[in-house]
Amino acid sequence: MTDPVLSVERLSVDYRSGTERVHAVTDVSFTIPPGRVVGIVGETGCGKSTLAQAIPRLLPEPPAEIVSGHIVFRGTDLVAVPRRRLPLVRGTGIGMIFQEPLNSLNPALRVYDQVAEAVQIRHWRDIGLLPTFRGGSKPFDYSRRPLPETSAVLSRPITPGGAVAEKAQRRLTDRLDAREEVLRYLRLVRIQDPETVLDRYPHELSGGMRQRIMIAMALSERPSLLIADEPTSALDVTIQAQVLTLMKELIDEVQASILFISHDFGVIAEIADDLGVMYAGRLVEFGPVADVFRTPRHPYTRGLLRAVPERYKSDGPLEVIPGSVPHLARLPAGCSYHPRCPLAQDLCRVDPPPALRTVKGSAERAPHQSACHFAEEVGTTP
Amino acid sequence: MGRSLEDLAIFVGKRLLQLLPVLFGVIVLAFLITHVAAIDPCPRWYPKAGHATIMHCEAQFSRPVPVQFYDYFTQLLSGNWGTSQSGDPVLPHILAGVPATLELVLASLFLMIVIGIPLGVLGAAYAGRWADHLVRIFYLSGWATPTFVGAILVVYYLAPTLGLPTSGVYSAAPPFPERTHMSVVDALLAGNLPYTVDALKHLVLPAAVLAFINMGIATRMTRASMLEVLPLDFVRAARMKGLSNFVVLYKHALRNALITTTTVLGVTAGGLLAGTVVIEEIFQWPGIGAYAYVSLGATGVPNFDGAIAVVVVFALGVVLANLVADILYGILDPRVEWR
Repeated sequence: MTDPVLSVERLSVDYRSGTERVHAVTDVSFTIPPGRVVGIVGETGCGKSTLAQAIPRLLPEPPAEIVSGHIVFRGTDLVAVPRRRLPLVRGTGIGMIFQEPLNSLNPALRVYDQVAEAVQIRHWRDIGLLPTFRGGSKPFDYSRRPLPETSAVLSRPITPGGAVAEKAQRRLTDRLDAREEVLRYLRLVRIQDPETVLDRYPHELSGGMRQRIMIAMALSERPSLLIADEPTSALDVTIQAQVLTLMKELIDEVQASILFISHDFGVIAEIADDLGVMYAGRLVEFGPVADVFRTPRHPYTRGLLRAVPERYKSDGPLEVIPGSVPHLARLPAGCSYHPRCPLAQDLCRVDPPPALRTVKGSAERAPHQSACHFAEEVGTTP
Repeated sequence: MGRSLEDLAIFVGKRLLQLLPVLFGVIVLAFLITHVAAIDPCPRWYPKAGHATIMHCEAQFSRPVPVQFYDYFTQLLSGNWGTSQSGDPVLPHILAGVPATLELVLASLFLMIVIGIPLGVLGAAYAGRWADHLVRIFYLSGWATPTFVGAILVVYYLAPTLGLPTSGVYSAAPPFPERTHMSVVDALLAGNLPYTVDALKHLVLPAAVLAFINMGIATRMTRASMLEVLPLDFVRAARMKGLSNFVVLYKHALRNALITTTTVLGVTAGGLLAGTVVIEEIFQWPGIGAYAYVSLGATGVPNFDGAIAVVVVFALGVVLANLVADILYGILDPRVEWR
């Protein structure tokens, strides 16, 4: 098996505020194999955004603090990378799409200047003008991916060519036509009329448009790992659908593994290969999307899935999970879900369950993991 | 309304028209204050003159104040800015003093920008840590220093150590005509390099004192608005592009934080001009501040016409500085429309 692009190992992140310690992320482990899309779902305040920002070490430290664990990106532990070298990892290594398209573009700079900056950084790193991150493992060779159907290729607009074609082109000339490159990526994210958009300021564009530009900016650096932190949550439903469709289309073309954070099961089901469920700072379940949806192995996941309104459900009230999310500074003893759990037993109140363990009977190549004492029973009890 | 050049021209034109009533108000106020505050100035103005002169002078002041103002104002409009009591006309002092003061104020504004703003960025980037505290100590000590104390300390202790001159604009009378009355500009126009260096040496201390005392506002505003901008998504997005900390701070964050700082710097112009009164007197700078000091009676004889002229020029300076700040604000922030 190929090395994972990212493997998070027993990561814990705290926020310090005064004397209080908020355990935003506790003992989280998962891996992202090359070319796969990993979704993380959870309620507001469960630590998923903290996790997303902790991976490229974007959290302000202090107040945030990585208490323990490792973030191994292409063979390098990012926790051990000194602060001033972090920019080398970002951009071309790990790219990120933010939640608020309103705030994620600089209001004082034109679209062109912002996208060109990203294009320029990648170009300078490619030709060695700027130092760059060299991970222990090679980036996944996407040229070996099966090609998309010919009909699909023909129906798509012009997109960046494969990695090989790029390299050949780069050997011909080290000079970069930044404007042409920016236009290429704006076209890639299906922006109509990219030439006029170039000279606009962000406040002159709609939310969906800004999010497309954000995506274009992240993609133009061709990162090995793309972190999308609720990229569709702040958008209108129709725009949300457009952006989601765009991202789904791009996944086949983009040369990145993706970590997709959302609170929306529907979005995750559309886009992800693997799914992790977070509760109160812990990853409580992790596995292939289909397995998690079909046979949830943690009572929290099961409760969440039952609370999703089915498309044409008209009879009876929706199911809810009783109680509310505990405060991350004052977690209950034992399993932090036990006060709300219908299956809780005496063991759960005193003994915190171990971090994820593979559920018996799941496939060895794509293990289904759960952090419940009674993972095997969850599927069988009502 | 939009952001085209015509819109800007209309905006500036409107603001200049609004300036007229402001100036009129300032003239009325300055006139009233001078004529009400100085009780019976004639014997002091002409201590050695004969009875007839004093009687003539008192006859002037015993007329109704509106009549006196009408006389003064019509004279002012016809270009006669009056004279001091010894017959020294006011206008040449103003014309020579304004450029000299402008040079001093611009120099200290320059220092405030190139030192004060980076310090504010530093304070925000290391908020709550020792670098931030050092920055705060620096600008607060400037803020807390009375102008005359700071200036005198610099003249007596700092200047001899650094070997810098503390009086005048040149060490010797220049061999070239003082066309603009800005010492550095004049020397440069004459192509006289030694005199340029000499003028800069004379400029550095008064400008530094003026800047040090007013720096707090620039630093503090920059720090505060940087702290507002830094947690925003676009700053993190800039970091995630792989930009260095320096570029993130100075290109992405400061560009937005400057929008607030600019406005405040425009308001600071008043403080800078007020500071010139004491600074120019102590450093013997031949500007409008030193002239204000003399006109307001510091040497014993107040000069009404000079005092009013100085107040008007200062008011004009403050209003124009605010106008420039508003224009810069619009240039920095693309969301602003001229109106």
